[in-house]
Amino acid sequence: MTTKKSADLLPGTLDLLVLRTLVREPMHGYGIADRVKDLSHDVLQVGESSLYPALQRLLLDGYVEAKWGVSDNNRRARYYTLTPAGRKKLVVERKEFDRIVTAIQTVLEFA
Amino acid sequence: MRLLKRVAYWLRRSKDTSDLSDEMAFHRSLIEDRLVQGGMSSNDARAAARRAMGNETYMREESRAVWLWPAVEAAWQDARHTVRALRRTPTFTIGVTLTLALGIGANAAMFSLVDRLLFRPPARMIDPSHVHRVYLYRSSRGVERETGGQYARYRDLATYSTQLSQVAAFSRRSLALGTGQETRVRPVGIVSATFFGFFDAPPALGRYFTVSEDTPEQRAPVALLSYETWKTEFGGRTNVIGSVMQIDAATYTIIGVTPADFVGLWTFLPPAAYIPVSKYASTRPPKNWATTYGTAIGLGVLARRKPGVGIDAATADLSNALRRSYQKQIDLEPGNASLSELRPRALAASVLAERGPDASNTTPAAKWLSGVTIIVLLIACANVVNLVLARALNRKRETAVRVALGVSRRRLLAQLLTEGMVLAALGGAAGIVVAIWASGVLSSTFLPGTERQSLLGDWRTLGFAALTTVIAGVVTGLAPLAQIRHADLTGDLKSGARNGDRRRNVLRTSLLLLQSALSVVLLVGAGLFVQSLRNVRNVHIGFDADSVLQVNLNMRDVHLDSAAKAALRLRLLDAVASVPGATHAALQESTPFNGATSYPVFVAGIDSTAALGEFDFNAVSADYFATMGTRILRGRGITSTDVDGAPRVAVVGQSMATVLWPGQDPIGKCMRVGLTDTVPCTYVVGVAEDIHSQSIERESQLYYYYLSGAQWKPHDGGLFVRGRNAKQLLEPLRHRLQLEMPGTSYVAVVRLSDFVDAKMRSWIVGANVFTAFGALALILAAVGLYSVIAYNVMQRRHELGVRLALGAGQSRVLRLVAMEGVRVAAAGVAIGTVIALVGVRWIGPLLFDQRPTDPRVFGAVITTMLAVAATASLIPAVRASRLDPKRALQSE
Repeated sequence: MTTKKSADLLPGTLDLLVLRTLVREPMHGYGIADRVKDLSHDVLQVGESSLYPALQRLLLDGYVEAKWGVSDNNRRARYYTLTPAGRKKLVVERKEFDRIVTAIQTVLEFA
Repeated sequence: MRLLKRVAYWLRRSKDTSDLSDEMAFHRSLIEDRLVQGGMSSNDARAAARRAMGNETYMREESRAVWLWPAVEAAWQDARHTVRALRRTPTFTIGVTLTLALGIGANAAMFSLVDRLLFRPPARMIDPSHVHRVYLYRSSRGVERETGGQYARYRDLATYSTQLSQVAAFSRRSLALGTGQETRVRPVGIVSATFFGFFDAPPALGRYFTVSEDTPEQRAPVALLSYETWKTEFGGRTNVIGSVMQIDAATYTIIGVTPADFVGLWTFLPPAAYIPVSKYASTRPPKNWATTYGTAIGLGVLARRKPGVGIDAATADLSNALRRSYQKQIDLEPGNASLSELRPRALAASVLAERGPDASNTTPAAKWLSGVTIIVLLIACANVVNLVLARALNRKRETAVRVALGVSRRRLLAQLLTEGMVLAALGGAAGIVVAIWASGVLSSTFLPGTERQSLLGDWRTLGFAALTTVIAGVVTGLAPLAQIRHADLTGDLKSGARNGDRRRNVLRTSLLLLQSALSVVLLVGAGLFVQSLRNVRNVHIGFDADSVLQVNLNMRDVHLDSAAKAALRLRLLDAVASVPGATHAALQESTPFNGATSYPVFVAGIDSTAALGEFDFNAVSADYFATMGTRILRGRGITSTDVDGAPRVAVVGQSMATVLWPGQDPIGKCMRVGLTDTVPCTYVVGVAEDIHSQSIERESQLYYYYLSGAQWKPHDGGLFVRGRNAKQLLEPLRHRLQLEMPGTSYVAVVRLSDFVDAKMRSWIVGANVFTAFGALALILAAVGLYSVIAYNVMQRRHELGVRLALGAGQSRVLRLVAMEGVRVAAAGVAIGTVIALVGVRWIGPLLFDQRPTDPRVFGAVITTMLAVAATASLIPAVRASRLDPKRALQSE
């Protein structure tokens, strides 16, 4: 088990990460959490207790759809797919996120 | 769109919840797999995966919360949970419902009465805050008196005032409607045409009368029916418009019907009909009613301030107008006192009579009774809180389990509140039923003869009941919080309800203390009022009010001279003999407790009898004393031989004989009754026992005597009729006597006891109300004590089992348990006694011949309370002593 300290997510970024993760292919909850963790080299840890409510929120808003399917090891799993509305949302959210990060970095550089 | 999704989610929420569970189980198993691959044993991996996932219940709740408004969803769940729980414990539910129903119902009924008396403006009145009843005052020899009532005065006020937008004259009288056997006496509104302009009340049918119809010259004979009368007595027929009806001394054409809820100014006894002031006044003396200031016809004045005019300005404006009116009167009638001596002034007071300067004594009684009902509600709430606490204690383990399963504290709190609300709602609904019944009782005791007020559709009272219900719900719902706050999860899980923790009993014990203390206060009140009423009833008033009916003649437009009237009265007296059940009858001129007649009395050797007191008399016929049940102590009563031309005779009351002829035999003495001391002698032929003629209280300097009606020849008068059963005799008697009445004239028959009871009312109300509430409080206290002891026994079953197993005798356990209840009750009784000793000061003046600190009353109350407490504790104590130690120990 890795003991590297994981970072807390910035508020509001969870939805963004989940949406981005789903761009390539439909995934189940565990897969999403795993992918985020892997890609961030264990820096970003998605807690289960916030992942599922977040997925429910995205479902309600119509940005993702859920369907039961079969996992790699032949088990029943619920796969989430990005909807067109979700793709649009991702673009908007990403722009917004970039803008804020740039702004924060600018302040950190020159203040 | 989102709403639709939410609804869709709600409809398939159980499937989605299980989806979520499956999903999480899948997630957990993947974590587990990974850990096993990492070399962990499968058992450890399962536990670690569970830890990693955290609180799944919480997660599920959060996920659901995304979809559903959590509050709504939670409330729905809580309500269902509560209803299920309450159905499992019907005794508890019924007990709480009844207790709250009594508390809420009594308060709602009381509110309805006080609200109508003091707060609620008359229905349909436009902007009642700008409307005033006008009271007029003038001084005479430095003493200010209320005045007014003349038509001319009302006209002057309307003419001379400048700050008022509307002025109307009003009066309500009991007048006879219809003719012959159909004659009924009903309240009738006698109003000026401007009266209806104060209201937003378009007639249900027809029209109102106009200002041009209501002038001294025009005085159109037109009338409006109230909606109620139109429906009940005219069958709601539209062709009633244009028909004629006899009202009092004239016939009127019906031109309209007022709307259903219109009551004029009279919420408690709305008129059955409305007639113009001008027409009514013209059918009654005096002939110069429209212009005279000398004779008042009892008109009140209603006024509306112009916008922007303050109340003080209105009072000043009216006072000014009144001064001009008096100036006019002085100019017209020289010889009147001067304006500076009369000092006339007006007062613009509340449109509600009970808030004005002439409020009746009903209002203070209603006010303190409200205090009593609030105490009852307090006791009820204390009782319910106690029951709820006991129940919560019993469910401690359940609560602990729910907390352990991840139910948030907030959710638990909401659950408690919901339970309180559901209970209170049940109580409130049943309370409305109680209130409907109780308000009937209240208005018949407080305001006899008034119409019953419907509580349903009375939104103010229902609103008040709802508010009381919510408060009761919050209080009862949150009470168990005191226990949750201290909740020790592991301890509760292990011990369940077994642990008798003294600390947590403090609240319940104080509630019991409060309850028994308040019960003592109410019971002391009840005891004092019952004693007081007994004293009132024991007053020997000198006649049998219960067995006697009073017959009153109302001549309306039939004009008879004195001789013809006297002949009519004799015919009526003869007619009584043919009514079965009537045993005695006599003519009379006045009625005790309902006015008096007096004339100057001159007696040799006494300068001024008026200085000794007031001498009232009654002019009566033979058999009067037998009719009334008044005993003749010496000499004889009035007989049929005391006719015109025979020597004038009188029968005097005992104390009158003593005050006029102290130490002498009054028989044969001469007294002169008349305006001068030269009128012929009236000889005393008998002495009768004293009677009360004006009040139940001791009458000092008030003397009563009797003259022969045949000799005195009164202008008016009626009959007293004695019957074996006065109540049953009433209607046959009225029917028989009505046959003798000429034209539109009619007889009214009432019970003599009505007049006496009216004077006893405050004592009767006090005794009834306090007794009812005192008994209620006692029952509630007993139930509270019983339930607490019973629950304590249940809690301590284990401990008591151990004691019994170790050889404690049954009687020892019995004492142990029972004494616990008695101790609390005794402490409560002590506190209550102190409160009562202080509190009785306020009811002291309301009592009759009764010391407020009567040790007999206090003693009886304390004994009763302790006996009830002992009984209530003994039942569970006996049960405790019969515990089977083996089973008690095994049960946990």
